Amino acid sequence: MNKKPKRHIAVKSIVGIVLLLVTFAVIVSIIGYRSFSEALLNQYTEGAFLTAKAAARLVDSDHIDEYVGSGGTGEKYEETWAALDSLCNTSGSTFIYVILPDRTDYAHITFLFSTIDHNSSYTVYSFGYLRDTTNDEYREKYRNIYELRSERELVIRNKGYIETGNHITAMIGLKDYKGDVQAILCVQRQMDVMSKTLSSYMHRIYLVLVIMALLVITGQALYLHRVLLKPINQISEEAERFSTENKPAEKRLQELIKSNDEIGVLAGSIDRMEDQIQDYVDNITRITAEKERINTELNLATRIQAAMLPHIFPPFPDRSEFDIYASMDPAKEVGGDFYDYFLIDEDHLGLVIADVSGKGVPAALFMMASKIILASAAKMGKSPAQILTDTNAAICANNREEMFITVWLGVLEISTGRLTAANAGHEYPVLCAPGARYELFKDKHGFVIGGMDNIKYKEYELTLEPGSRLFIYTDGVPEATDGEGNMFGTGRMLDALNRETRACPKDVLRNVRAAVDDFVKDAEQFDDLTMLCLEYRGKQ
Amino acid sequence: MLNINKTAENGTLTIALEGRLDTVTAPALEQELRNSLEGVTELDFDLAKLEYISSAGLRVLLLAQKEMNVRGEMKVRRVNEIVSEIFEVTGFNDILTIE
Repeated sequence: MNKKPKRHIAVKSIVGIVLLLVTFAVIVSIIGYRSFSEALLNQYTEGAFLTAKAAARLVDSDHIDEYVGSGGTGEKYEETWAALDSLCNTSGSTFIYVILPDRTDYAHITFLFSTIDHNSSYTVYSFGYLRDTTNDEYREKYRNIYELRSERELVIRNKGYIETGNHITAMIGLKDYKGDVQAILCVQRQMDVMSKTLSSYMHRIYLVLVIMALLVITGQALYLHRVLLKPINQISEEAERFSTENKPAEKRLQELIKSNDEIGVLAGSIDRMEDQIQDYVDNITRITAEKERINTELNLATRIQAAMLPHIFPPFPDRSEFDIYASMDPAKEVGGDFYDYFLIDEDHLGLVIADVSGKGVPAALFMMASKIILASAAKMGKSPAQILTDTNAAICANNREEMFITVWLGVLEISTGRLTAANAGHEYPVLCAPGARYELFKDKHGFVIGGMDNIKYKEYELTLEPGSRLFIYTDGVPEATDGEGNMFGTGRMLDALNRETRACPKDVLRNVRAAVDDFVKDAEQFDDLTMLCLEYRGKQ
Repeated sequence: MLNINKTAENGTLTIALEGRLDTVTAPALEQELRNSLEGVTELDFDLAKLEYISSAGLRVLLLAQKEMNVRGEMKVRRVNEIVSEIFEVTGFNDILTIE
């Protein structure tokens, strides 16, 4: 099933963009507001000073005292007042006035002229009106004009003055012919127009930003859908399809998504990954098939090897003088152990038990060759020592891998019970005389076959009484190991044999096997396990 | 498991084996010998701590013996009871110099 995402990429990215736009809008409006209001203020200020200069020319600066002395009447005063009043109402100023600050600390001002915009709600100050200086800023400006001879001074009051509204006041000194300041001329302009202009500017900025935001959101949504979401959904669907169908798509992702950005690269990677998984699956299928084939061959090899050893019991149903039972149980599919028995002639029975160094296929191949050489030498009627000597020579001639084999080989004269045997590095045989117990027979040992050239083996003879048993085995029996690394050992082997000294060969092997299994428990069988038991009954 | 400890001195290489020398561990010893017999005139095996030796292990000793027949001599020292019995059974005590 294709899981639906809890939150869509488009929503996430649009939220991000909106946040970005809002931040952008705030920054732009702050910057815009500041530079715009600064420019407006400058223009306002210049306008106010131009008006102030024009007004200054209307006042007779050389004879300020005449105006003072006129008491606010007379032709000259009224003429000047009318001119100022006219200028005030044509220049867009709110207030044009001429004052005489008190020169000691500038804390009071006396109005000489005072004209207002007729449309405003303010009233004029009458001639000679005396009032406190508005604040320290004004005091400072007045002082500058008088004492520092400053050309012009400006006061901006735009921080929320309820009484008079936001305004600027431009001040210039009225100088007599000597250049001394006689009075101050002030032009006050309201800033309401400027405020209106500013706020409409801000509205426009916000409107444009909102429209931009909408456009960007729509555009981004469409773009995301086309460039990101559609191809991502295609990739996700393809991955889902591949995981259920496990076969290449009819149309590859790179053909569906023709893009050179990261999504295109991702599509290419998914395509390649599918190819590699496909290759990998093919490879595994091939390896599995190959393994299957090797297994089949190994199974076949196991069967061939088992078939090479005599395995029909009783082997000689018409011979009542003896009974034989043997078994081989390789640790891997094929083993290096073997047993063998065969009639050399009517009165002689050949018995072989052997163990090739190593395990598995190499040991099995070596074992096959050794078994054939031993059997053919024995069937030529040679003595056991001679058989081993000849076999050693034959094997050493072609033994590049330095493998070797331990062999116990005996020839039993059936009529007399006389056993001639030779041992090439193999485990001690176990004998059980009638009425006695199973015991190791510590025979003379020669070196392993295939190890060294030119070895002469020695043989020995013993006679089996009727009722005797001979048990021969490979090292897999005493060296069977349990989970803790303890070995079964010949002691336990003899115990198992002696539990039932009169058992028939088949039961003897079964008893030993049961004892080994009981000892080893769940530990993995490590070595081949091969045993042979002969019961000699003699002539009956 | 098999630990192989080598000490070389004036052309004498002593290899002390500890653990089991069987089908699983024998290839490692064989490889070790192939790499380190250059210039060795005496090879000594210290088998005091060898717990077990299988036919695959015997094969490696045989290879070493044959190699050292050409280069100088090989000695097997401090053989414990278990290993000694295996040497005896397999006839290796006849071809190895056991001290």
